[in-house]
Amino acid sequence: MHTNNWAVLVCTSRFWFNYRHMANTLSLYRTVKRLGIPDERIILMLADDMACNARNKYPAQVFNNENHKLNLYGDNVEVDYRGYEVTVENFFRVLTGRHENAVPRSKRLLSDEGSHILLYMTGHGGDEFLKFQDSEELQSHDLADAVKQMKEKRRFKELLIMVDTCQAATLFSQLQSPGALAIGSSMKGENSYSHHLDSDVGVSVVDRFTFYTLAFFERLDMYDNASLTSLFGSYNPSMLMSTAYYRTDLYQRHLEEVPVTNFFGSVMETIHTDSAYRVLSRKESGSVEIRMSTEKSDHDKERLLLNSNDLDQIGELNTQDQRGNIECIWSTFHKELQKVKDVDSFVNYGLVIMLPLLTVSMWLSW
Amino acid sequence: MAHLPRRTHSILLILSFQICFSTIFAVFGSVFFQEEFSEELLLKPLPDRKVLAHFHFETTAPPLSTSHGRHHHLFPKAIAQLVQKFHVKEMELSFTQGRWNYDRWGGFDPISSSNAKPPGVELWAVFDVPKDQVDASWKNLTHTLSGLFCASINFLESSTTYSAHEWGFHPSSGGLRYGTLPREAVCTENLTPWLKLLPCRDKAGLSALLDRPSIYRGFYHSQRLHLTSSESHSSGVESGIVLEQALTVVLQPNSHKTSKTFLSETKLQPSWSLSSIFGRKVTGRCVLAKSSNVYLQLERGLVTELENLQKDNAITGPDHIGSGGLKDNPGFELSVRPDKEFKEANILHRKSSSVLYEYSIERYSAFEPFDLGLTWKFPVVWLCPRAPLHSSRFLMGSGNQRGTIAISFISTDLEEGFLGANIGEDSCKLQANIFQVVPWYIKVYYHTLRVFVDGKPQAIANVVEKMHVSPSEDKVSPGVMELVLKFPCAVKSAALTLEFDKGFLHIDEYPPDANQGFDIPSAVIIFPNFQTSMQYLEDNSSNKSPMLLKFQEKSPVLSYTEILLVPLTTPDFSMPYNVITITCTVFALYFGSLLNVLRRRVGEEERILKNRASKKAGRLPQLLSRLSAKLKGKEWEPPKSPSTSSSFISSKLILKVLIVAGVAVFWQYYSE
Repeated sequence: MHTNNWAVLVCTSRFWFNYRHMANTLSLYRTVKRLGIPDERIILMLADDMACNARNKYPAQVFNNENHKLNLYGDNVEVDYRGYEVTVENFFRVLTGRHENAVPRSKRLLSDEGSHILLYMTGHGGDEFLKFQDSEELQSHDLADAVKQMKEKRRFKELLIMVDTCQAATLFSQLQSPGALAIGSSMKGENSYSHHLDSDVGVSVVDRFTFYTLAFFERLDMYDNASLTSLFGSYNPSMLMSTAYYRTDLYQRHLEEVPVTNFFGSVMETIHTDSAYRVLSRKESGSVEIRMSTEKSDHDKERLLLNSNDLDQIGELNTQDQRGNIECIWSTFHKELQKVKDVDSFVNYGLVIMLPLLTVSMWLSW
Repeated sequence: MAHLPRRTHSILLILSFQICFSTIFAVFGSVFFQEEFSEELLLKPLPDRKVLAHFHFETTAPPLSTSHGRHHHLFPKAIAQLVQKFHVKEMELSFTQGRWNYDRWGGFDPISSSNAKPPGVELWAVFDVPKDQVDASWKNLTHTLSGLFCASINFLESSTTYSAHEWGFHPSSGGLRYGTLPREAVCTENLTPWLKLLPCRDKAGLSALLDRPSIYRGFYHSQRLHLTSSESHSSGVESGIVLEQALTVVLQPNSHKTSKTFLSETKLQPSWSLSSIFGRKVTGRCVLAKSSNVYLQLERGLVTELENLQKDNAITGPDHIGSGGLKDNPGFELSVRPDKEFKEANILHRKSSSVLYEYSIERYSAFEPFDLGLTWKFPVVWLCPRAPLHSSRFLMGSGNQRGTIAISFISTDLEEGFLGANIGEDSCKLQANIFQVVPWYIKVYYHTLRVFVDGKPQAIANVVEKMHVSPSEDKVSPGVMELVLKFPCAVKSAALTLEFDKGFLHIDEYPPDANQGFDIPSAVIIFPNFQTSMQYLEDNSSNKSPMLLKFQEKSPVLSYTEILLVPLTTPDFSMPYNVITITCTVFALYFGSLLNVLRRRVGEEERILKNRASKKAGRLPQLLSRLSAKLKGKEWEPPKSPSTSSSFISSKLILKVLIVAGVAVFWQYYSE
């Protein structure tokens, strides 16, 4: 039972040609809504208006596939922050909960220490940053600080950060708060690519990472018990054209035991009563729950055994690769550092000697 | 014990009184003090082959004192809470995309003057609080509305975006604030919460017609929410809260179906039906509504044309003589017979009056949906009523430093002749009020106001009757201009110009798409001497629909001008990077060469070189060095001692340093 799940979905790109970023975010919005997170627990931030954009041939509709089967911008989209409101400042205000008094509840993330939060971001980024509307940057340090502050303020129990951008893995490098789990679409030095172009709409409509994430979730419903491992395993680097990166060292639980609905879904606790307005003792409902959960967990394990065997191997391979990569990078970095020590004195001497020269030249020029 | 019977008696008395009162209240309450909801839709063919659909929903709540505390049956709780919390006396919020075409869609009827709105968001509110609390209430209201309607209305909280004007736009006693966001996007997420305020949402009744893609495909759509409350009034008459929601859409019907006769096709208006313009049919009323009606309105001009057509037909074909009214007129055909027909009570206009057909959709259901269709049989061309002056606003001048705002008026030559009667007399004046809010970074010089009438410059005192200007204050408040102009009635054209300087914003204040330019909100032009009021002659005047009552209200003709797009000097964000890059390159070269000079041990290198040279025995250089040694009259020695080389190095070093310094000096001069 996950009754306290929240989602913050952010599309950070402005302008029509970034249609796909909005489609990404809206697809995920639709998914988490379908899996049971209610609208008041979803903070949706869209940096531009694509649905009613003058360039959109299909007004009030957004598609993430060229078959146009699914209108993501249905009748019931609740956008909390849009347009110029999508700034790094507002993003941090949402995460850390530091708002002005007048800000309405629908624009706040009112999570508590038992909450599971899904944070999804998509846009253009690079090494340790993510651009907001082409004018601001979110840095990995800022993100780590915000998450740390959230932890201190007991705003979450578990947090899954999912980022679809170029070099997404670098955005997580500074994270240090326990309970945080991170998925990025690409490693350092890799680009994240769009999936396909819709010639009717005229632009690419979805990114690869998000497309395959959605493909995974389309098969699931609210009560499914697919684990995070199976989600992570579903990313095929050759299909993604980039290597998905998972940072799991801050997360205590075993990923095989954690269902994806832990973050992406929400099951509201409903207690069935025979007659209306009769107070049901808390004990009874508890026992009912426990029974249900034990039944389910048995079921879980079977499912896991069935479908995670082959996927696990892929996952392990991937993680080994990652470690190898990281170690390699570190060693080269160390060597560089050692070299630099000599060079330091060089530069210092040079600077000291340059000072009188500069003064002379300045004096001459006056 | 003796008290007991008396007490019971009094209790009984009170009870009986209570019963009496409650029955009285029940009787009266059903008439006066009950929440009511009505839904109406007005359809109107427009002269330029388009169709106007105007939805009008009205919900009323009785005042708190007579209603059941804070419980509401039909009235949206969110709005009621908002009214109570912020003491809103009157409020109007509109979301609009597209520009109302005053020439072709009408500028002199109730719909255009109260429902044509400027693009983006417009919000004004009158508060019933002490003057010093108005700004705080406004700020809280904008935040609440932004949460309620999924829009960034909260940008109106900053004092640079809203104005507290005196009399230009709406008469008020100080508690009014007015703000617009011209570039606010309007889409599904704004319409959905608006529809959720209706008791039937968009599930039943007329609101079920609102298919999002077909609405947003239209040329113009404006959703409006108007709120009047007399909750906190001290006066005796209390009407509670009246929430009026109107959605005005201008749609283009598909004209593919009517291509039967290509000769007349060019002029024939496209035929349409509800299902063809909305893609849906009305499958019954909202059962909570007191009345749910659909109206079809034919404009005066159209009625005149149709009557002419009827006369022509009557002459050619004698069968049609004696046909009463327009019901079986030759111009068009209606797929459903109207339940009622109203004619406009015409006082001013002599020629003809507009006609209204009423359809009550109470008898329609999902099995028998209501789908009103209009098929044109003959091409008809007509004109719609226009405002006395056509107003437009534009920018003059070029460059990034200064410019001029011009507002021009062109007479629309009203052939009806409300002016004609008075032409020739000097006393006849045509009054126009202008209300304009300009953001602070457009620094308008109000003393440069010039007025031209019929192309000739005029003294301001001759034309401007009353003027109120509050100049803008940088980063604090916008500039507000309120003018009352009086033109002679025979005016053909008039123009106003105002010069301005473009200001600079702080680098943080530029929006992400600053290159697109900045919007100056629409100016409001009001013609207070011209009232729009459409009164329809009805048989039972007691049961009038709220929409028609609204049309009856006398409101001045009002039009909004275009939004101006001002390009401001935007910082070229790539330039700092260029500068940084080139400076870094220069510095790298400078320091690099210097380091090279300072750190290179020349003597050592030369010795190594010479050693190598001697080892490899390059003949020619060895010979040359020997030659030079002989010429200098010195003895040639292959390995040089470090003691002699030190002075040589230092002189060479100084030389090189000087060269580098020279380069630096040169660079300094060059760059300046």
